[in-house]
Amino acid sequence: MSPPLPSDLGYIPPDGGWGWAVVFGASISVGFAYTFPKAFTIYFKELQAVYSISYSQIAWITSIMCATTYGGGPISSILVNRYGSRPVVIFGGLLCGIGMVSAAFCTSILQLYICVGFITGFGLALNLQPSVIIIGKYFLKRRPIANGLAMAGSPVMLCTLAPLNQFLFDNFGWRGSFLILGAILLNCCVAGALFRPIGAPKIQSNEEVKEVLKEEVTKDAMEMNSSTNIPVETKPEEEEAKDCCEKINKYLDFSLFKHRGFLIYLIGNVLMFLGFFAPIVFLAPYAKHIGIDEYSAAFLLSVLAIVDMVARPATGIIANSKWVRPRIQYFFSFSIAFNGACHLLCPLASGYKGLVIYSVFFGLAFGMVCAMLFETLMDLVGATRFTSAVGLVTIAECCTILLGPPIGGTLIDTFGDYKYMFIKCGAVMVLAGTFLFIMNYYNYRMLAKEKRKAKEEDPKSVRTESEGRNNLNKDTVQDGPELEPLREEQERLKKEVNGTNEV
Amino acid sequence: MPARCSGSCPGRLLLLLLLCLCFSLPGGSPADLAVTPQDANQTHENSLTRMPTGLKSSPEPMTTTQTVNRQTWGGSISDHLTVGPDASTLGLDLTTQEFKQDTKSNTSHSSYEKYEVVLPDDSGPAVVKNITLDRAVRIELTCKLDGKYSSLKVIQVTWKKGNETIGHINKTENSWSIQLTISDNSKLGSYNCTVKGEKEFSVVFHLQVPKIDVKDKPVITYEGDIAVLVCKSLNSTPISWTWYMTNGSEQIAINDSLLLDKYVIDKVFPNVTQLKILKLTSKDDGVYWCEAAFELGKSKGKMKLKVLSLMVPLKPFLAIVAEVVVLVAVIFLFEIYSKRREKCAEIEKEFDQTEQLKSEESNGVENSSTRHRKV
Repeated sequence: MSPPLPSDLGYIPPDGGWGWAVVFGASISVGFAYTFPKAFTIYFKELQAVYSISYSQIAWITSIMCATTYGGGPISSILVNRYGSRPVVIFGGLLCGIGMVSAAFCTSILQLYICVGFITGFGLALNLQPSVIIIGKYFLKRRPIANGLAMAGSPVMLCTLAPLNQFLFDNFGWRGSFLILGAILLNCCVAGALFRPIGAPKIQSNEEVKEVLKEEVTKDAMEMNSSTNIPVETKPEEEEAKDCCEKINKYLDFSLFKHRGFLIYLIGNVLMFLGFFAPIVFLAPYAKHIGIDEYSAAFLLSVLAIVDMVARPATGIIANSKWVRPRIQYFFSFSIAFNGACHLLCPLASGYKGLVIYSVFFGLAFGMVCAMLFETLMDLVGATRFTSAVGLVTIAECCTILLGPPIGGTLIDTFGDYKYMFIKCGAVMVLAGTFLFIMNYYNYRMLAKEKRKAKEEDPKSVRTESEGRNNLNKDTVQDGPELEPLREEQERLKKEVNGTNEV
Repeated sequence: MPARCSGSCPGRLLLLLLLCLCFSLPGGSPADLAVTPQDANQTHENSLTRMPTGLKSSPEPMTTTQTVNRQTWGGSISDHLTVGPDASTLGLDLTTQEFKQDTKSNTSHSSYEKYEVVLPDDSGPAVVKNITLDRAVRIELTCKLDGKYSSLKVIQVTWKKGNETIGHINKTENSWSIQLTISDNSKLGSYNCTVKGEKEFSVVFHLQVPKIDVKDKPVITYEGDIAVLVCKSLNSTPISWTWYMTNGSEQIAINDSLLLDKYVIDKVFPNVTQLKILKLTSKDDGVYWCEAAFELGKSKGKMKLKVLSLMVPLKPFLAIVAEVVVLVAVIFLFEIYSKRREKCAEIEKEFDQTEQLKSEESNGVENSSTRHRKV
């Protein structure tokens, strides 16, 4: 039996076809957004020498970039809600390109902060969110696979960007590299061009066709359409019920904060990100600290990236299987806890071989968590509200993501030992995983209870509820495993058409 | 104890213990015996330098001690220890000097470094040991034979610097060592310890000034930009830095006072120097040298500066922008094309469906009439 899926989009996503082109574009966008700050660090030494500044001052560039990428989430969500994914991504790509090209002509570190930090960071924010959002619009049954493939763009891009940056730097110096990187970032516009808009208007056209048919056949075609045509029906409703809050909610759905699943996800993830990125940042320094040479330490990160690259699509395939998909939240909690357990065991790894094994497991766990990061949110809130949800989640995560490595660094400096940092990260992640596991168990039970309650009532009212579900009426009925209203609607329409014939 | 000296060792004290397995030549031992009492004889307040002269293979006890010259060394290399050429004479050439290190401590004789190398197992290529010295020290070089070869009969042990043989080899059970005072550039070089017996082993010690760490890849800058060339001396602080630029085949020193608005020399850290070249033009393209002056000599680092015009990266930039524009155009055109095709297909489908409905209607009427009839 196919798992019940939340489908409140108002149409059936294609689950393939042009969707795979969208996944490819999304992987490019996501790859640039996540890896560009990391790959940028090779310019630090040269910039430090040219502008005569300290390492912490130059590191502000990537901090500002990361903060803007995550903090620009809500703005990104509002723009996508208003204009759709494609224009936002193209605009984001242009912004990134302009930012880097202007950085090539900078004469002070402050100008670099603005050009590289703010402008490029904001452009990347406008790339990241819409890419993830549009996957939810194109895929439903195969959404975990699509998410896994799109997130796999990050390690692939890291493996290509890092050597490319080095090559550019050796041949063109830092100014020329910035210029060419600006052009490379313009490729995000290509990814954006692939994001063909999809949505309810398709049903409009279907409805129009059926209207024509019914007009030909019967005279009460208009009545039918008014009862079956969702967007037409809800629009007058919308206009009547619109007030200030709902107007804002149309752009950024703050009512999500009353959504149980969303709150669970938010708290769990905010906690998790405290210990998520710090081990990657400190893996190479830790390796050098225990006596491994620089090239072998860099090799550890390569091992991590390669395992990550394979783990993300694989996790997507596993998460899509019929055993895991209904319980995907448990799988997510397990992968977070597994990640934490890896970190807790890392201090026991002795020597280079131990660290390689740790890197392999860490890469696996990291890939698993990243692949399901947005899939679980989509699963909890549904694809239509996901637009706003992702913006709100990223700005909340922004703080802990930025705090994680500095806290780890402080621990290392205070105790002079790396193991406390690993213990802290591991403990935080195991705690987050356990919290998510317990709370999602509770959530699943509550959802099942609500579903049973809803089914006991009039089945037709359930259907109309699910049909009329849009961004407004979310408080009463929670999304989650439920019916397949679209299929039922199609059957009903067929019956009606046949019925009119018999009349 | 295997020698483990590299540039990371503390600059002053490089421990190098050479344990040579000296084949105890019949004459060797008296020479050895001769060396030690001379040590005792030479006592001076500040420091004692003794340059063991090379012993020829014919052993002759060198017991005379001579004070050749006595100089105070005030932080600059001004004395010359005679060694080498004099060693060819069968005379102990001892030079005593008073050292005053340029650090505050006056106990230069306590800055005694030992370097030891265990000879290789088989008589393969000679083992090479590099020692970096940035200031005057007394060192002891020892070559040692591995314990398992203690039964080997050692016929001869020679210490050489270049072609000159060094005498006054200290012999212990399995090791042969020489003591050197490195006080100026001429003392640096390669010291060779050869142990001849049934097999021949060889160890070479290279005494050098510290190397300069420079970026081996060319520094790329653009016209009108600022270039920063950085030279770093690892683990040792030189006395002074000098920058040279190459004009044709000459090297011209960059004097700070020369072109103040063009060249700026910064000393960021004691062991790091920075040359900033402002207002770059294509004429500034070329090779630059940074020279570090140490007590024992000078060390140079070579840096290449490339000055490019902005046209150089502009070409790949425009190529990539063109590629982006082409791809976006292709994608949009494909979308318009496929939409048009869909619309045509939909209109056809709609047409078919109306036809079908019309035919069904007529059929339905017939069916109902037949049903009536049947009923």
